[in-house]
Amino acid sequence: MLSTKFSPMSKEEVDRKWWEIGDFFRRNSLWMLMYCTGCCAIELPPAMTSAYDMERLGMGPMATPRQADVLLVTGYLSLKTLRRLIYTYEQMSEPKYIVGFGSCTINGGIYHDSHAVINQLNKYVPVDVFVAGCMPNTEAVMNGFVDLMDLIKNKKANGWKDYHERYDWYLANQKAALGEVRVHDEFHE
Amino acid sequence: MTNSMSNIEFTTDLVESKFSVLSTEVVDKYQVSFEVKKEDVHSLLSLLKSSGWIQLSYLSAVDWPLDNEFEVVYIVFNWDKAVHIQIRTRVDRETPSINSILPIFPGCKYYEREAHEFFGIKFPGNPDHEKQLILEEWDDLPPLRKDFDPRAYSDKKFSKMEYKNDFVNTNGEVSKQDARTKRYDDIDKLRTGGKK
Amino acid sequence: MIDILLMILTGIGVAFFGFVLQTSIAGVNRKVVARVQKRYGPKWYQEFLDIFKLLSKRSVTHGWIFDFGVIMALGVIIGTAMFMPLTSSFMAFDGYDNFFIFVYLIAVGMLGMAMSASGSGNPLASIGVMRALTTMLAYEVPFMIVVLTIIKLTGTSSLSEIGLFQQVAGNSWFLIALPIGGIVAVMALMGMLGKKPFETYIAPAEIASGPMVEYGGKQLGMLFIMHEITVFIEVSLFVHLFLGGAENIVLFIVKYFVVYTILNIISSVYGRFKIDQVVLFFYKWPLIMAITQAFIAIYLGWVI
Repeated sequence: MLSTKFSPMSKEEVDRKWWEIGDFFRRNSLWMLMYCTGCCAIELPPAMTSAYDMERLGMGPMATPRQADVLLVTGYLSLKTLRRLIYTYEQMSEPKYIVGFGSCTINGGIYHDSHAVINQLNKYVPVDVFVAGCMPNTEAVMNGFVDLMDLIKNKKANGWKDYHERYDWYLANQKAALGEVRVHDEFHE
Repeated sequence: MTNSMSNIEFTTDLVESKFSVLSTEVVDKYQVSFEVKKEDVHSLLSLLKSSGWIQLSYLSAVDWPLDNEFEVVYIVFNWDKAVHIQIRTRVDRETPSINSILPIFPGCKYYEREAHEFFGIKFPGNPDHEKQLILEEWDDLPPLRKDFDPRAYSDKKFSKMEYKNDFVNTNGEVSKQDARTKRYDDIDKLRTGGKK
Repeated sequence: MIDILLMILTGIGVAFFGFVLQTSIAGVNRKVVARVQKRYGPKWYQEFLDIFKLLSKRSVTHGWIFDFGVIMALGVIIGTAMFMPLTSSFMAFDGYDNFFIFVYLIAVGMLGMAMSASGSGNPLASIGVMRALTTMLAYEVPFMIVVLTIIKLTGTSSLSEIGLFQQVAGNSWFLIALPIGGIVAVMALMGMLGKKPFETYIAPAEIASGPMVEYGGKQLGMLFIMHEITVFIEVSLFVHLFLGGAENIVLFIVKYFVVYTILNIISSVYGRFKIDQVVLFFYKWPLIMAITQAFIAIYLGWVI
């Protein structure tokens, strides 16, 4: 027999419900910040324009890190770029996600033995979705975005929480590769 | 076409009449290379600048570890005659140093910083030449020297992806890579008569 | 007492209606622009998703003036929208729908946003604010001359009465009655809405979306709501002043939709002016046309 008595939800349950509602909005309106470091960036114009039309999924390019939800790292990252990428990532407002493009972000790709290019992006910043390929074709890129939406729906896109929890680990990796994360150059000082 | 050839001749005459050139190489009809002594570089560049080669296109270096020397290359460009001139000179590899050409071409400031960063050549006269430009917080040999091993540096500094064995073998089949390695080993064994 | 409370509630209802109307129409217009570019386009309610997504995000602050400016801008713009007559007879505050109320209150909202953007300390935000104010200075002059001509002709500055004047005269809209002034008003409206040729102060590729450069999360969501309501006010002004107001709400929505869609289609095929080109443009042709129109209409009395 069904009880008609009103049973108040616990605070955790209310929070969870709100979070699910928020997830619905977040996954249907992903705003991208394109950090076009490498050649994979050339796959984004066909994904955005009339061939594949990313906007029908609610995605669109944004101008600054503060406004964006997804950071697209398209290609290899030199040490100098990684330093700026960490700045950019930490400026984004939460919840935030990272999509890594191409083999270069997974294992170094064709730059695996270069003195200036890092090999694994997810040692330094938390990556939610990798799109493999050198370079990935546009269907793979679109599929990566749909995967990210599924991950958000299933509450598995928790890279930004991981960055909070294991910040010491990420910072140690960053320091091992970069020496110091702070940018020192004559144009910023 | 004859015009450009006469340009090359004009340039060669101009340089060789006034300086002792170690070797001249006409790369193609738009480019000529002179190798001069280290002391002559500044006066030669001043002469070229006053004769119309007003733009310093590039300044870089080449490493010759067997000669124990660096070759510093200056490329200047003329906007009226279609000739690039390369001025090459050799400096010692152990204590590489050559005076800056900042008074002649102020645009060399960043090229000299770059050359110092990638080869370790010092440019006295350029106050900024030891500042970092492209490599930030570099902690090893200058990376474009031939005795620098980028792969060893990369292995030491950056963590690599670790592949598990079962990640490579799908469906329990022998991987093609393993079969290939075994075949090569067999061939080696046949060649060496079973000895390793 | 209860009357005033009811009026305020109606006013908030008008502002909310304006928000919902403009957000839906903006969503439909994103589809229209997508079809112009041979794309499929987002869902028609995409703008709602964007705004609620922004409100659901966490955000950072750059000091109290940054937060206060956003709230001030949103509050003032909602307050402005409360005075807007929807049809020629329905409005929240009867008799307070003067044209100048809207002009001044919108400026206060813009100043709130300018204050907040400058409070973020980002140089691009300051450049954007400066450009926004310069653009405002440029389009206001010809627009005001045309509107003052209309006020001189009708003898009133109340929006609903200007609308009624046109309806009584047999639906002779001022867009047709004053054709040169109508063109000037369309151009000024594009400048007001920040549409493409005059998009100088947003300029995402150039100054990284200008005043909005440091906003993210909740503040940006509030700014988006403020932007939608501002667009509602400006397009409604145009409908009432130049398209003969509206007898009923359906006619209002239709006129509103047509005006906004045509502006968007014009905008979607244009590039972007530089800021000096914007100022020069508005101070050259629209100003000359507006003065000519005023002279023809007031001194010669030639009104179609």
